[in-house]
Amino acid sequence: MRSSTVTEAAVWTALGEVIDPELGCNIVDLGLVYSVNVDGGKVSIVMTLTTFGCPMHESIRWGVQNALLALDGVMEADVQVVWDPPWHPSMMTDRGRASVGISVPPQP
Amino acid sequence: MSDTSKRASQGGAGVPALGATSSVMLPLSFILVGLVAFLTGIGWLLLQPSLLATYHYNQTIIAVTHLFVLGWICSVIMGAMYQLVPVALETSLYSLRLARWHLILHVIGFSGMVWMFQEWNLKQVGHFGSVLAVGVGLFVYNLARTLWRVPRWTLPATAITTVLAWLSFTVVVGLTVAAGKCTYDATPTATWTGGLLAGLRTATGLVSRFDPVSAMHAHAHLGGIGCFTVLIVGVSYKLVPMFTLSEVQSLKRAGFSVLLLNFGLAGAFATILLRSPWKFFFALMLLAALVLYGVEMRAILRARKRRTLDWGLRYFLTAIALLGPTGLMAAVLSWPDLPLTEWTGQLETAYAFTALLGVVTFAIMGMLYKIIPFLVWYRRYSKQIGRTQVPSLSQLYSARLQSVGYWCFLAGLILVSLGIIAGHASCIRLGCIGMAISATTLVCNVGLMLSHFLRPTVPERVVPRLTVSASI
Repeated sequence: MRSSTVTEAAVWTALGEVIDPELGCNIVDLGLVYSVNVDGGKVSIVMTLTTFGCPMHESIRWGVQNALLALDGVMEADVQVVWDPPWHPSMMTDRGRASVGISVPPQP
Repeated sequence: MSDTSKRASQGGAGVPALGATSSVMLPLSFILVGLVAFLTGIGWLLLQPSLLATYHYNQTIIAVTHLFVLGWICSVIMGAMYQLVPVALETSLYSLRLARWHLILHVIGFSGMVWMFQEWNLKQVGHFGSVLAVGVGLFVYNLARTLWRVPRWTLPATAITTVLAWLSFTVVVGLTVAAGKCTYDATPTATWTGGLLAGLRTATGLVSRFDPVSAMHAHAHLGGIGCFTVLIVGVSYKLVPMFTLSEVQSLKRAGFSVLLLNFGLAGAFATILLRSPWKFFFALMLLAALVLYGVEMRAILRARKRRTLDWGLRYFLTAIALLGPTGLMAAVLSWPDLPLTEWTGQLETAYAFTALLGVVTFAIMGMLYKIIPFLVWYRRYSKQIGRTQVPSLSQLYSARLQSVGYWCFLAGLILVSLGIIAGHASCIRLGCIGMAISATTLVCNVGLMLSHFLRPTVPERVVPRLTVSASI
């Protein structure tokens, strides 16, 4: 039995390990994670993907769940994939833009 | 509490996983069959370059054309469609079992057809063609039932539907042409086989009304434009925006391009078959469709958020660019009352070669660099993502080999095309060497990708951990 308490910082760090295999960049740098909510042992994530109908949809969602459930103290992981607001490169970090090949931060 | 008691829940808009739609091994099997046919075809031309230096209406060139069209192009496209159609249209494949039967019938059918074309035994071509046709029937039925489940009807769905219709028509016309070249001495009886015999005699009577070369050209255009060009155009409206992080800029323009392609093909088929001067008009209609398509692709690319184009996309975009010279050759060849001289005969061969080994093959090679890594990654790493470091798709193969393959193929294509027009066998052989090197790089890269099934790798570059302050 685990008794440790999960922190939001630990959740963001774990999410930073999950990559979009097509773009080769982690989902946090891509700006795909919209919100993180930690409620005791339950973690809820609201996220999006770069393209509707992305073939990697299920894999990335599995990846997020795997990463969350591997954290000490996480008993339940709820991953919501939403399309509103739609993803835009302006949501990416500078490092993400550099990694994917977007040099100038575009305006939404 | 143990780890197994942990719970995962999902919500939001859903797209089915590949595991629910198709098998990884099924599209890979089609693709591997295609690669074997591709290597065989290139090797054949390398050994007999004179085939392309003379007029194309002979048994060997028809055999090698069917090896490329059915063995290479159709195998890869059909395998890719079993994987891509459910994914792109957000649905699931109707039947994996039917698809497996299709693979068996397809391999028997096209191998036998190529062999019998080479022997110029058209009755046996018809028999093997019938086996192939049964497989195509299963394919069309399977994908039609899959399309029936599509939750949102889109332009790619429309294009794929028309591709299935043109594919069916191409096979029927091909079998009719083959049947028309045979003689049937037996007396029809009131049995099932008697009915078949009567049908074949009717086909013979029908085909004999048309010039055999025109019938062959009409059949070739049905396949080349109806199946391959419409498919490339249709799916690129989904795939190019997806891979470049862009969007279709004008749905109306995109829709018109698909519509014009289909109308243009219907007219081109009839006018080629009848040797009508109106074929020039329909060639212009097809060119207009391709111009609209090119304008829309340019707009999509200009609006892309991902500035860097990987080699897979460069292959695909080269295919699109090659539609230009191919279309121009089509316009010249469709000119009313163009005399059939040695030069125009060679231009016809160059046109077909550029279309099949240029446009379609470049598009296929580009998409293979998207499809195969995805299939391998999905099978090997999708369960590990989030648990351990996994490679990205581009880390499964060598980009250097990819670029060498690109330049060798482009150089080879130009040399072979010029060699065909000039009727110069040595130039054709030199170009085939470039193509053979390119095909080898593709096979090496496929081998690198498939090796992940046996030896999974962890990427050397560690995905950087984020600091919380930088991420929110």
